[in-house]
Amino acid sequence: MTLASSTPWVVPAADFGQWRDAARRLLQAGVPPAAVIWEDAREVQEDLFASAEAGAIRLPEPSVPPPPVRIAREDLALLERASRYRCGEGEQGRWALLYRVMWRLHQGERAAIHAADVDGRVLHQRHHAVKREAHHMHAFLRFYRDDTDGDEADARGAKRASGGEEFHAREDYQSVEESKASFIAWFEPAHDVLELGAEHFADRLGSNPFLIATPRGGVAWNGEQLDYRTPCPPAWAARARAAQTAGEDSEHALWRTYFVSTFNPARLNHRVMTQHMPQRFWRHLSEGDLIPELEARARHGGRRLAQEASVGERKGKTLPPARR
Amino acid sequence: MELIDKLSILADAAKYDASCASSGAPNRSSRGKAGLGASSGMGICHSFTPDGRCVSLLKVLLTNFCLYDCQYCINRRSSNIPRARFTPEEVVRLTLSFYRRNTISGLFLSSGIIRSSDYTMEQLIQVARLLRETHQFRGYIHLKAIPEADPRLLEEAGRYADRLSANIELPTLTSLKTLAPEKQLGTIHSAMGQIRQGIDAANDAATQEAKHPPRSDNPKRMAPRYAPGGQSTQMIVGADTTDDRTILQSAEQLYQRFRLKRVYYSAFSPIPERPAGLPQAAPPLLREHRLYQADFLIRGYGFAAAELLGKPGNLALDIDPKLAWALTHRDTFPLDLNRAEPALIARVPGIGLRSVQRLVELRRHRRIRFQDLIALRCRIEILRPFVVTQDYRPADGQRDSARLRQQLTAPQPAQMALW
Ligand code: SF4
Repeated sequence: MTLASSTPWVVPAADFGQWRDAARRLLQAGVPPAAVIWEDAREVQEDLFASAEAGAIRLPEPSVPPPPVRIAREDLALLERASRYRCGEGEQGRWALLYRVMWRLHQGERAAIHAADVDGRVLHQRHHAVKREAHHMHAFLRFYRDDTDGDEADARGAKRASGGEEFHAREDYQSVEESKASFIAWFEPAHDVLELGAEHFADRLGSNPFLIATPRGGVAWNGEQLDYRTPCPPAWAARARAAQTAGEDSEHALWRTYFVSTFNPARLNHRVMTQHMPQRFWRHLSEGDLIPELEARARHGGRRLAQEASVGERKGKTLPPARR
Repeated sequence: MELIDKLSILADAAKYDASCASSGAPNRSSRGKAGLGASSGMGICHSFTPDGRCVSLLKVLLTNFCLYDCQYCINRRSSNIPRARFTPEEVVRLTLSFYRRNTISGLFLSSGIIRSSDYTMEQLIQVARLLRETHQFRGYIHLKAIPEADPRLLEEAGRYADRLSANIELPTLTSLKTLAPEKQLGTIHSAMGQIRQGIDAANDAATQEAKHPPRSDNPKRMAPRYAPGGQSTQMIVGADTTDDRTILQSAEQLYQRFRLKRVYYSAFSPIPERPAGLPQAAPPLLREHRLYQADFLIRGYGFAAAELLGKPGNLALDIDPKLAWALTHRDTFPLDLNRAEPALIARVPGIGLRSVQRLVELRRHRRIRFQDLIALRCRIEILRPFVVTQDYRPADGQRDSARLRQQLTAPQPAQMALW
């Protein structure tokens, strides 16, 4: 055994870019996966994160001349997406998995990245989970009007979040031109997909500024640029959570009405619904609390008709045949 | 009437249209532009109602006043239901408001026939025009095409909408005559034909212009000028005695003749004021599900409708149509996955299209082993009797189909009874 492989290299990486730079050096120096201990700087404390950025990492010298490291563009994208997976208890670390796949590819083992391979399989599963979670974010995040800006709003949000100050709906609420309004959302992604969500919403909302707060990071869009903050500023989080619970954005009442009416009680199907919309999202949806109620009503007779009961109670009207 | 009351009535009136898809639109973004909205080809389900159906679009009728008397429809003129009518501006306001809050990806607008077909179509177009031109809305728009409307109006609708649909509702002349006396199959077909021509012409023009494949960023190239999300239609299942074979054959013809993107199947749901002759039963959801499976096999797997259902009647409820086909074609199986043509692998029950692709890819590197099927998450219990791999050959390969079917069938699923 060589000296290099007997004392493992300890390499922290906080994001994909850092991992990629380190991995390239390690591959060029011929360091096998077993000789590297990867530290996930996304999972550890802030100061460690800072030291990783300061360039304090010790890496081996590449052999001269350094062998080129090549990877297909789509495989690189796959690695990047899969690295956003948050590993659970007992799962192998994200960087170690990526490096082993990379190492095997570098050795000419093309099947290493295939979905039927021992490593490739895990990689693809993670990629799938990340894609799914990004999709969840695109789908289930809810924006609320965020009418006051900056410090004032932050203070207000913090106060309200701590249970103080009752809110009175603003009368001019709808008269404020929506095309210039700001929006705010709270979301709890299960994987590191904040960037994937933010890019998507910048495409959608264009000139409407928005702010998204999550338990880890936050992002603000001013109509031109995305401003990421890790960790999420507490004031942002407080404001976002308050907007969700305050119920001051009355447009969500219209949405709730729509949700009730578009539901067809005769087709009640709890299993399929929860399969597509896991319960963990419900409490952050403005329509979430309606679901158990609608199901209960459907079970107690509502299934007899497709029509929403409250619509059926309204006064009806038949029409004369057309004059021909 | 308050906006919220209209919404309650006109969303309820629109729920019988099964489609809520926002897929197939070209790439559009509002970054750095005035206006609102994006589309990416991939549909988004923003919510699911407790019926398990996706909410992707604001799906409403402009009005549920209607001159027609289609028997299966809650909005027919003889039905004693609350009526309402949106102004075009109200629909626009709701669409933009919901869109900004991220509860929808666009609008699906349909309408009862008021005054005349042309007038009704003009109203629908007016909403789309306001959204696209006044508000520069780049989200998804699906408009209902009123078949009897002037061709000029269908032409105009296709320039604003991502998708157009004219519903067949009932696939045979006789059922249409009995249940929807004012509708003409010929008129519906000619509307579909016109939409197809519009789409074909736009696609041809786009191909001519494009030197690059259609994923480029050039907005001109990305936006064919006519219904880029294609056209779809819907058939009602279980309102009359039409069988699955007739339904699937009609669907197949529609795909071939008009190049539809999708045919939707809508299990007939009990409506208030049910006219005589229509079932007062729970919607046949399992039957609808089997039709969607068969439809998918026709669109994606190269099956012909006649292969899936050779005789008059309905698809089996207890097994899916692919397994049913395999059980009647035992001479094709077991199939050696290391040798078979990809198109034939796609016919193995339990192996989906994505897995076919991956298996073919894997064959280039090494021989396929049974373990690979597990790793690819194929449905092992189902495919076991039908495949051969390097290290596996089914022990029950010789078992007769009836016994195999019994073995592969989960406990008899019954149609759910309601009362
Ligand atoms: S035309 Fe027929 S199907 Fe359409 S709304 Fe009127 S009655 Fe219903």
